[in-house]
Amino acid sequence: MRRTLSLLIGLLAASSCLSSAARADDTLSFPVLVPLTGFLSLEGTSQRNGAVLALKQTPAGIAIASEVVDTGTSPEAAVTALERAAGRGTVGAVAASMLGTQMLAMLPLAGELKLPLVTVSGTASITEQGNPWVFRFFPGDAVTKAAHARYVVEELGKRQPAVIYQTTAYGQSGKAHLDAAFKALGVTPVFEEGVDPAAKDLLPVLTKALAAKPDVLVLHLHSAPTALLLRQAASSGVTLPIVAGSAMHQPSTAALLEPAELKGVCAETAASPISGGTPEVKAFTDAYRAAFGKEPDAFALGQYDGMTMVLEAVKAGARSPDAIRKALSAETFQGLAMTYKSDGKGNMAHSAVIVCYDGASRVPVLAKRYDDPTLAAK
Amino acid sequence: MGERHSPAETVALIAGALALLVYALAFASPYGLRILTVAGVYALATFGFQIVFGLGGALSLAQGAFFGVGAYVTGILGSRFGLGFEVTFPLSMLVPLLLALPVGLAVLRLESHYFALATLGIAQVLHLLAVNLPELTGGSNGLAGVPAAVLFGWAVPRGLPMAGLVWGLVALGGLIGWRLAGGRLGRSLTMLRDDPLAAATLGLDVGRLRLIAFGISALFAGAAGALAVHTQRVVSPEVLEFPVMVSILTIAIVGGRGQMAGAVLGAVLLLHLPEWFRFLERGYLVVYGVALLATVVLAPDGLTGLLDRIAARLFSRRPRASVEAKEPPRPQNSPDGLAVDDLRKSFGGVRAVDGVSLELRPGSITGLIGPNGSGKSTVINLLSGLERPDAGRVRLGGRDVTGTRADRLARAGLARSFQAAVLPNGAGVLEAVAAARLAVDPDARTAEAHARWALDRLGAGDLAGKGCDGLPAALRRRVELARSLVRRPAVLLLDEPAAGLTDGEKAELAALLRELAQEGVAILLVEHDMGFLLPLAGRVLCLDRGRVIYDGPAGGVRRDPAVAAAYLGRAVPA
Amino acid sequence: MAALQLLVNGVALGAAYALVALGFVLVLNATSAVNFAQGDLVMAGGLLAVAAAPLIPLPGIVLLPVVLVLMAALGLLLALAAYLPLRRRPPVSVFISTIAVGIILQNGAAILFGPEPRAAPPLFGDDTLHIAGLAVPEQSLAIVAVAGLLIGAQQWVFARTQLGRRLRATAQDPEMARACGVPVTAMILVTFAIGAACAGAAGLLLANRYFVTPTSGGDLILKAYIAVTVGGWGSVPGAVVGALLIALFEVGVSSVLSYPAALGALYLTLLAILVLRPQGLFGEAVRRRG
Repeated sequence: MRRTLSLLIGLLAASSCLSSAARADDTLSFPVLVPLTGFLSLEGTSQRNGAVLALKQTPAGIAIASEVVDTGTSPEAAVTALERAAGRGTVGAVAASMLGTQMLAMLPLAGELKLPLVTVSGTASITEQGNPWVFRFFPGDAVTKAAHARYVVEELGKRQPAVIYQTTAYGQSGKAHLDAAFKALGVTPVFEEGVDPAAKDLLPVLTKALAAKPDVLVLHLHSAPTALLLRQAASSGVTLPIVAGSAMHQPSTAALLEPAELKGVCAETAASPISGGTPEVKAFTDAYRAAFGKEPDAFALGQYDGMTMVLEAVKAGARSPDAIRKALSAETFQGLAMTYKSDGKGNMAHSAVIVCYDGASRVPVLAKRYDDPTLAAK
Repeated sequence: MGERHSPAETVALIAGALALLVYALAFASPYGLRILTVAGVYALATFGFQIVFGLGGALSLAQGAFFGVGAYVTGILGSRFGLGFEVTFPLSMLVPLLLALPVGLAVLRLESHYFALATLGIAQVLHLLAVNLPELTGGSNGLAGVPAAVLFGWAVPRGLPMAGLVWGLVALGGLIGWRLAGGRLGRSLTMLRDDPLAAATLGLDVGRLRLIAFGISALFAGAAGALAVHTQRVVSPEVLEFPVMVSILTIAIVGGRGQMAGAVLGAVLLLHLPEWFRFLERGYLVVYGVALLATVVLAPDGLTGLLDRIAARLFSRRPRASVEAKEPPRPQNSPDGLAVDDLRKSFGGVRAVDGVSLELRPGSITGLIGPNGSGKSTVINLLSGLERPDAGRVRLGGRDVTGTRADRLARAGLARSFQAAVLPNGAGVLEAVAAARLAVDPDARTAEAHARWALDRLGAGDLAGKGCDGLPAALRRRVELARSLVRRPAVLLLDEPAAGLTDGEKAELAALLRELAQEGVAILLVEHDMGFLLPLAGRVLCLDRGRVIYDGPAGGVRRDPAVAAAYLGRAVPA
Repeated sequence: MAALQLLVNGVALGAAYALVALGFVLVLNATSAVNFAQGDLVMAGGLLAVAAAPLIPLPGIVLLPVVLVLMAALGLLLALAAYLPLRRRPPVSVFISTIAVGIILQNGAAILFGPEPRAAPPLFGDDTLHIAGLAVPEQSLAIVAVAGLLIGAQQWVFARTQLGRRLRATAQDPEMARACGVPVTAMILVTFAIGAACAGAAGLLLANRYFVTPTSGGDLILKAYIAVTVGGWGSVPGAVVGALLIALFEVGVSSVLSYPAALGALYLTLLAILVLRPQGLFGEAVRRRG
């Protein structure tokens, strides 16, 4: 009886000692706390890979440590992971979950612990909390949805969009900003409806959308639902132009469809590394493929850019989280996807692109680039 | 069961609590404290689940939803209206309770998996509402900026103080839960779980008990949800999702079903388990799954069951202190007994009982005989309220009780035994008999004293300390009879009480029944054994295919041609 | 026309759910145990098909037997690890042990296959038939056909064969069956193997039209549980009707109301059914054991 108890205490204590084993040297650690399980594991894995790839470029003479911890999908797990990471050596900066709710949960703790969080979450509110420790290396929903709406209205000349979005944090936040962006352009969607990510058949919502006589379909869905809707649209003979959300640009989404089913489909994103571009982007794409055997997406590239900027700051002499925070909020960084500069709230990325598929290949081509589309829209 | 705590176990409990305290104060990092805090939150939610499911046996899949509702109440009031802990915490308990009561009333009578599905449906509707009412709940993004728990102006900081607050409430909640589990409510619920029919015939109101348990579970879940939100500082639909429910269920089973200590052990283990394998990055949950599987297989009675077994091996279990017998008060028996007029019941077109009338007078013994399938057991079921008659009238103590529920009849002074004695598995004999008094006695101790009296009266006092499992059939019958006896019934319905008894035992039983009749009890005896029945009974009824074919003095039965025909081969023309 | 098209889609989805529920009911009937890993078994079947597809570059119909055999083996493993050690315990222990197996399957799949959604090859072809203005994907027909065949085959096996009689005897009363010389343990193992094979078939069929990710099992087990319970605990026709009912709401009602409202309506309907028919639509098929 008592032996069992002492065993239990021993285990508890040992686990705590393990976790608090501080490194003696001046190693800076850059924990990667991202969702590797649950419904956001696809995006979280991209984040992880981008961060891990960036952290391989260790600046000379500086010891760097990194550990990847899964945050699942609950705010609780994210906060626990942050507390755990904080107890292990000197943390320079944290590559933090792209799930908005998890970011919102981690922010107050990051403020107390004084740790910069580098994320690619699109959720608008994470940079509206007045918290100086958050840095977003992905255009927020305000930016991407402005680009999304402007492409629909200005480039395609459509004024009767039907909006289909996901009833998740990603979908609801994007839908709110799509509404605002369309309103700014003087356009009112003829149809708007949320779909549960567990919905298997999307024909009902598609039928209803078509009944509203739209001239364009605007999607803001996760990866598999985007592919499902496109496939059902193709088999129903829908010929309307479709402009999808950022999940479409992920190579794994296109992999679910035949190139013909993608003809005429466009998508909003921060970048599309597989579409090529500068030699540096090509080098990144090759290195990513070699390291992980997968195609990179904009989330991987954004997280890569973010962690690279962090390492640049370390190279420039920043050795503490606060010094890194200062560098991130003050410097301008020429990343692979775009140029990053904080707007004072931690929004580093201000550009979005529209990519389109030609029907022959699963690799989209760049159709339009928007630098700071919200400013231009006003 | 929860109430059997030997001194060694009490020492172990205190030692465990001290160990946690020492760990929290001396060893734990902020990270360790956070996990401990979350474990406390889950332990609190599981206390409620132990009551409704562990003890009551109702697989409520709404426990996670009540947790989420509590979380949202604190989240919305805290972040939107800036209300303090002293307001939000009670409301976080109250709102789930107010939700549980009407929901409970609607679905309480559903059995096992139908109850589970109904509660699951409610949980899913709540989740849908949380996701799709963004103005109130913040939608899928949830609400950020929930304040820390503010206790009378003092914001409880994270780390040790928050862990202290949570575990203080865990201690309080655990104590309350433990008292409830060991007391009248807990035992009544256990009775209900093991055999709802028997529970009803012992006077326990199944619906009311379940509603109480459901309400208590909601209170605990709401409290836990409030604390969860103060710990994580945001509230999102994730708190209403099914994995929360699965965690609570897993903690309850891994810890030990129905045990408050099990809830704590299970929560501490299952919240720490994945953290121990964090270094495996993606593989940690695979190892967690394997560890969980191993735990269930190796400790199928839960961690408390495992500790009990170890304790039993290390310390010889001391016999429990014997209970002093006390005679239960005899209720005022009405002079009317039980009167039945033209009772009818059909099952799918087959007339099982067809116009039976009989009267059980106080102080009389009436025999009911008939070949197998003649409707004897159905008559008993109708009289005891387990079946509702299609037609006919039943009067008990002068009042019309036709179609009244079993538990009400039982409380009105009716007792019955079952053909196959149903005794709860794993319970002690004294407990099993005391269970029959739970509906009337003020507490479990009194019930046990009365139980001891009944056992003594049947000459079975030495069985009090034994367990029901593995008792020979004759003794099981005696215990079953004690359960009827202890209730001091006005009317006693016995279904083949002499089956399997030796001649000596039959004689003892006959003497006892005569004694009871002399005390004024009206007895109905369903028997096959004519040698036992006929000398006892003043009057005998014989049933055949649901009809009364003989009603008269016991002495005339053997000579009645219709009775003989019914037994010998249904030669009587219809 | 739109309504007919929705009906076609709804029946295909309902048939897929019925297949998921079928394996669940089988195990339930044989053991009284809730196999909570059933959804994850379906996911595993889908991913097995995805993994086997590049090795066997043939239509899904050739893959199907391979997946069935592999999944049957997995079902045996499941029975050995999570059911047999706990067979004398209350059914809720098996509930937890199969939850553990589900966690292992889900996360094992994530490690082996990664988090990307995948599509399995179609059973026959990827074409869409246009019949009288309706777009009917060949795969939808295949799902309905395979589901019908498997459910029919199961009914036939149970009603007409020696194996079926033994399986039923085991389900009704294992002690009595053993006394009558039925090899009860073997029967239970066979049941788990068939149940997992059903999950494999469902996985292969679902993973083509609706894709598969390591996390897709959680949603399926909920739907199977709902279908089986509302139909009448343990009743195969009840489970099929329950599955079609869910699909009716997901595809039919959601074409009138919004999707979340349709889900809400589904759960409220379930509650109404339970209040009116407390034993499910088709009544109780499994006698509960203590």
